[in-house]
Amino acid sequence: MELALIIFLPFLGSLGAAFLPPNARNAEAWLAGAAALAATAITVSLYPQVAAEGVLRLNLPWAPALGLDISLRMDGFAWLFALLVTGMGTLVVIYARYYMSPADPVPRFFSFFLVFMGAMLGVVLSGHLIQMVMFWEMTSLSSFMLIAYWHHRGEARRGARMALTVTGAGGLALFGGVLLLGHIAGGYDLDTVLAAAPQVKAHPWYPAVLALIALGALTKSAQFPFHFWLPHAMSAPTPVSAYLHSATMVKAGVFLLARLWPVLAGTDAWFWIIGGAGLCSLVLAGYLAMFQQDMKGVLAYSTISHLGLITLLLGMNSELALVAAVFHIANHATFKASLFMAAGIVDHETGTRDLGRLSGLSRAMPLTAALAVVAAAAMAGVPLLNGFLSKEMFFAETVFLDRPDWQRFGLPLAATLAGVFSVAYSLRLIQRVFFGPPAQDLPHTPHEPTRWMLLPSALLVAACVLVGVVPELVIGPYLRTATGAILGADAPAYSLAVWHGFNTPLLMSFVALGGGALLHGALLARRGATTVPLLESIDGRHLFDVTLTALTTGAERALRRLSSPRLQMQMLLIFAVALGGALLLVKPFGIGWGANAPQPLDPAFALLWLVGGACALAVAWQAKYHRFAAVAFAGGAGLATSLTFVWFSAPDLALTQLTVEVVTTVLILLGLRWLPRRDERIAGPGGATPRLRRSRDILVAGGCGLGLAALAYAVLTRPAVDGIAPFFVQQALPQGGGLNVVNVILVDFRGFDTFGEITVLGIVALTVYALLRRFRPAPESMRLPDQQHEQDGDASPRDSQEAMLPAGAMMLPAVLVRLLLPLALLVSLFFLLRGHNAPGGGFVGGLILATAVILQYLVGGTHWVESRLRIHPLYWIAIGLLLAAAAGIGAAFAGAPFLTSQAWHGTLPVVGELHLSSVLLFDLGVYMLVVGATTLMLVAIAHQSLRSQHHRTATGDTR
Amino acid sequence: MTTADVPLWAALPAALLLVCGGLLTLVGSLGLLRLDSFFARIHAPTMGGTLGAGCVLVASMLVSSALAQRLVIHELLITLFVLITAPVTTMMLMRAAIRRSRE
Repeated sequence: MELALIIFLPFLGSLGAAFLPPNARNAEAWLAGAAALAATAITVSLYPQVAAEGVLRLNLPWAPALGLDISLRMDGFAWLFALLVTGMGTLVVIYARYYMSPADPVPRFFSFFLVFMGAMLGVVLSGHLIQMVMFWEMTSLSSFMLIAYWHHRGEARRGARMALTVTGAGGLALFGGVLLLGHIAGGYDLDTVLAAAPQVKAHPWYPAVLALIALGALTKSAQFPFHFWLPHAMSAPTPVSAYLHSATMVKAGVFLLARLWPVLAGTDAWFWIIGGAGLCSLVLAGYLAMFQQDMKGVLAYSTISHLGLITLLLGMNSELALVAAVFHIANHATFKASLFMAAGIVDHETGTRDLGRLSGLSRAMPLTAALAVVAAAAMAGVPLLNGFLSKEMFFAETVFLDRPDWQRFGLPLAATLAGVFSVAYSLRLIQRVFFGPPAQDLPHTPHEPTRWMLLPSALLVAACVLVGVVPELVIGPYLRTATGAILGADAPAYSLAVWHGFNTPLLMSFVALGGGALLHGALLARRGATTVPLLESIDGRHLFDVTLTALTTGAERALRRLSSPRLQMQMLLIFAVALGGALLLVKPFGIGWGANAPQPLDPAFALLWLVGGACALAVAWQAKYHRFAAVAFAGGAGLATSLTFVWFSAPDLALTQLTVEVVTTVLILLGLRWLPRRDERIAGPGGATPRLRRSRDILVAGGCGLGLAALAYAVLTRPAVDGIAPFFVQQALPQGGGLNVVNVILVDFRGFDTFGEITVLGIVALTVYALLRRFRPAPESMRLPDQQHEQDGDASPRDSQEAMLPAGAMMLPAVLVRLLLPLALLVSLFFLLRGHNAPGGGFVGGLILATAVILQYLVGGTHWVESRLRIHPLYWIAIGLLLAAAAGIGAAFAGAPFLTSQAWHGTLPVVGELHLSSVLLFDLGVYMLVVGATTLMLVAIAHQSLRSQHHRTATGDTR
Repeated sequence: MTTADVPLWAALPAALLLVCGGLLTLVGSLGLLRLDSFFARIHAPTMGGTLGAGCVLVASMLVSSALAQRLVIHELLITLFVLITAPVTTMMLMRAAIRRSRE
């Protein structure tokens, strides 16, 4: 249970932090600090258990039917990492409290900070690979939000986007790799995968698995050639850089490599891919770090370099190298985070991080300088500090590498060279910032920060020194538990002593120290230029930008080729594809007419369909120039359909069809207003092309219509399938308690479907509203139509608002339509209430009321109606959904599943006998939602005319 | 329910009313078809909309009351609705026609 709590606490804290007021710096810090500290305490308290039992597991059933559990697993290695994440998190929270300025919106900072902490703990403690990938992506996302924290800065946005693109793409590759790996191993459980190491390495997919997982890990850990995102991520606030981009998140990549080390390592491919990337990063980033002008830039490249060192160690295929890698993960986190904190303090107190401007700060900030000097010395690998130990282990490993000749010589040389670079950039950083003559033109006068801001850095530096002096005491047992968890029984023996005698690694260390000092003294200290010699032209960011631009333009070009913005073309394609697809299926399945004889044709019905068909044809005929006539004809066709439903005893369908028909017509009429005018007198391009186009359209339209008719005929002439329909008809009354089978199906048997449908309807209405809010009519249709202008006369909107009735010709219709509103309300309620036993229901009732409301708009005008009758469609939608949900949840109180109908039958004093059912509540929800959604959409279009009036007033056009 | 269930005292006047209503509506429709100008034609269908519909509604009341053995007057509501709504559309149509004739 403690395992779940470790992950749960940061997320809980994040939720709390998000809701605090923007200026609650102290409350935020206390909350975040408490969450982090509690997680740290739990982690620490778990150590005896981990040391004794080896692995702690927790399985929380999540979707047991699918075999999906939330699986947490903590062994020694995960424990070490969890301690790193939680402990470092606590220190950084303290630091961030003093670093963030009062003007910064801290809830966002701490909220995402804690999300990251939870996600990182999730990565570390996951016992299931896919679950781990999910947390992995979450760290990328929270890192994106934190890098872009100061989102008003362009560089922050760019850096965040770059980091997300690179790590997100890597995450995708990792997901693919993990899927393959789990498939090979026969399960996604970490234990299963670790046990399947021999199968994985022998499997033909092994190279693919390795490549994909390496992509994920190398992008995350900013390894060559994906290293370029990390320096750009330095536009994040410094606590974020210290925590995410040096101590924890970038370590997720090497964590994963170490985690899967027993499964994937030991092959030549592993050595070349992982070791190669590590070596390139180690040397290249070390070289680049020597020439950076930004303090954080130096630290960023040095982070890449040190991560390269860890990656290289992991790639060496030796157990001792793995031990060194784990050791260096911990060491690097301590000295690098404290250096980042020092950089942040310098930035905070002086206002700049530019190495060219900073100088001689040790006089003004002696404590900061002392801490930074010790941390930088650890980074450089000075004896008696923790960096020295792990670096010496690294040197030893390169010397004893079991590889062919040139690699045996090359690697120690490259390692020593990287050591030289490391010493040189550490020296340069310290010398430029803290020594030399005091700087004169700094934005602020430097002074020592508050003691609390120094405390986290001081604690980390203390850890560096303690580990460096008495390693066996301070970190020995924990390191042994961690490496033992990865290597199992074959963990090698090693000694963590400071002094191993005079040997090659010691010599390499001293060569690095001396060479670095020499390099710095001879070249760097006197160098004034701000460019990078030799490698200036190699810029990952440029490549990244070029790739992105190529992708964007390529996508645009492909879109232009493959797609059309023209609605006609899209419709044609959709229908042609549908027709073609259907025709393809006809042949293999041999769909013919059924055996049932059709009913004799009633002449009256034939006449009805003749009229309906004629109307439908007329729509097509008139659609081009007489849109209004086309809409009227479409109404005729719809009426014929409604009458058909009545004819075949489907009154519910007929009612719905009728009301939908009315609302749709109003909708189209409102929309027609904004279409550009089309006139027969304006001749289009004549000749063969339009004729050809029209023939093609007729063919497709006729084919689709006739095909659908044939399909319907073929289905209807077949014997009815003995499906679920008889069940509904028989059980509607005994189980649903309603005589109207259609309504009982909608609100009871299939209530969950209806619930989903009304949710979708609500979403659609909101979407339409959102789209229309940004809709700007074409300028040529902006003008008031002559009719409306004439009718309103010179009355301004304000006059029309105050008048009792709309002025002019609309006065009389307005009186009548106002009379209609209460009657329509009554009728709609009638349909709603009778729905369960007779034709009607919430949907029909809602549409009737919505029609009545929109009638008021049509006759009275928007201003006039809204000054009297304020409809809040959004409230209607929300309350409708809540009512339907309440009706569903109410079933839980009776111990029944969601949406089970509950009925109450009894007598009340005055009212008499009463039958109340929860489906009525549900139907009321449907009713309210339909009213809200329909009026929202219609009113949104109606408001367009207001907007065009605003436009006219603004441009001074009175017409 | 078949026609045999309706007693003669109700069936006779109802039938008469239905025929009357149908004829009135037919005449109105013929007028809509035959008359020349819009202003003449707008009057014709109102015969069906008022008197014709009224006849059918009264016939419906008679038959329903006879069948239910009590007074059934739901149709009065329909009458009310027709009375309220029909003028609105007619007025709108006429407004549009007046406007067009001025051009």
